[in-house]
Amino acid sequence: MNHDLQTPPTRLDLLHQLFASATHDASAAMCRWTDGLITLSLDEVREMPLGDACSELNIEDELLTMVVLSLEGEIGGAMILTFDNANGRQLVASLLGREVNDDPEWSELEKSALTETGNILGCAYMNALTRLIDTELVPSAPYFIQDYGASVLQQALMAQAADCDRVLVCRTGFHREGEDLNWRVLFVPTDRMRKAMEGTPGGATGQPPLPRKYSY
Amino acid sequence: MTFSTATPVTADTSVGMGQIAAGRDAARLGAVLGSCVAVALYGPRQKTGAMAHVVLPKSNGRDNTPGKFADTAVPAMLATLAKMGTPPAAVVAKIAGGASMFGSGGPMQIGDANIRAVTDALKAAGIRLAGQDVGGKKGRRIWFHAGTGELTVQIVGGPPRIL
Repeated sequence: MNHDLQTPPTRLDLLHQLFASATHDASAAMCRWTDGLITLSLDEVREMPLGDACSELNIEDELLTMVVLSLEGEIGGAMILTFDNANGRQLVASLLGREVNDDPEWSELEKSALTETGNILGCAYMNALTRLIDTELVPSAPYFIQDYGASVLQQALMAQAADCDRVLVCRTGFHREGEDLNWRVLFVPTDRMRKAMEGTPGGATGQPPLPRKYSY
Repeated sequence: MTFSTATPVTADTSVGMGQIAAGRDAARLGAVLGSCVAVALYGPRQKTGAMAHVVLPKSNGRDNTPGKFADTAVPAMLATLAKMGTPPAAVVAKIAGGASMFGSGGPMQIGDANIRAVTDALKAAGIRLAGQDVGGKKGRRIWFHAGTGELTVQIVGGPPRIL
């Protein structure tokens, strides 16, 4: 197999549809979790050279607060929920009904609130993908981490990097009452997951994809 | 320039996953690392250096992206430095990275295997390892000065460390 080949646009459109559907479910879950405050929209499904991935996603040496979930197994992937520190603090403050905490150290309660947010998002996302590709996907426990964004993104790209020189990343944005927030969800499927998604009915029959939906 | 048969760069260059870059004199090569390992080779007398951003331990016969794998990166870098006038016998190595980002029991761990594979590849090529900052649970930001061989390593919240 030649792993340098670019995915045809029709395949990317199909993947976009599937990720949009999963984002829809995750958005509904997030909306419930935040009492209607926060929604999600799919920003892009993009394939890029491995060596350029961090710079193209603009995730490099910025210190980020992240929650990571992985799907173990060949049909798997990784999901990273990223915030800058200020936005992470604001979310936690609104979830806990408190003022924003300026202490440099995150308390266990704050970490717990953020990891639970990742858990709710991740489960909604994975449940949607399970339904779409008809394969049961079980996410790991969410992991709270603060580090360089690129250091964590590399971990998520590792499974694709084993098989491919080009990587596929799905990026989702967040909105509060219509305004964009500096939060993101990055989902990186393994090569097998990607192929399983491409093998769903629309992909297998080569039918033209449905119109793209970018927000909800 | 950042690929396997690297042409020397003259300015600051970011070396992405699986890439190799080479330079001389004032050129600086940078990277952000998690479980990946940066291999920096340099010729102290020739003032030349090359850096690979190694992602995985073994190529298993895949040779189209030599910088991605420990076992192919070292020979490719030595070939690049030889073209720049630095024979393998004159080359010294420093390495950084290979963190276990989510702790020893966390998902997607490959840092330790990358460290072992890189040190094995250097040993097999007869290259002396002059400095290293590897392992742990934190990511690293690094800069490699091609002309001096100085490797600066910074972990989030900590002071820069010079190897």
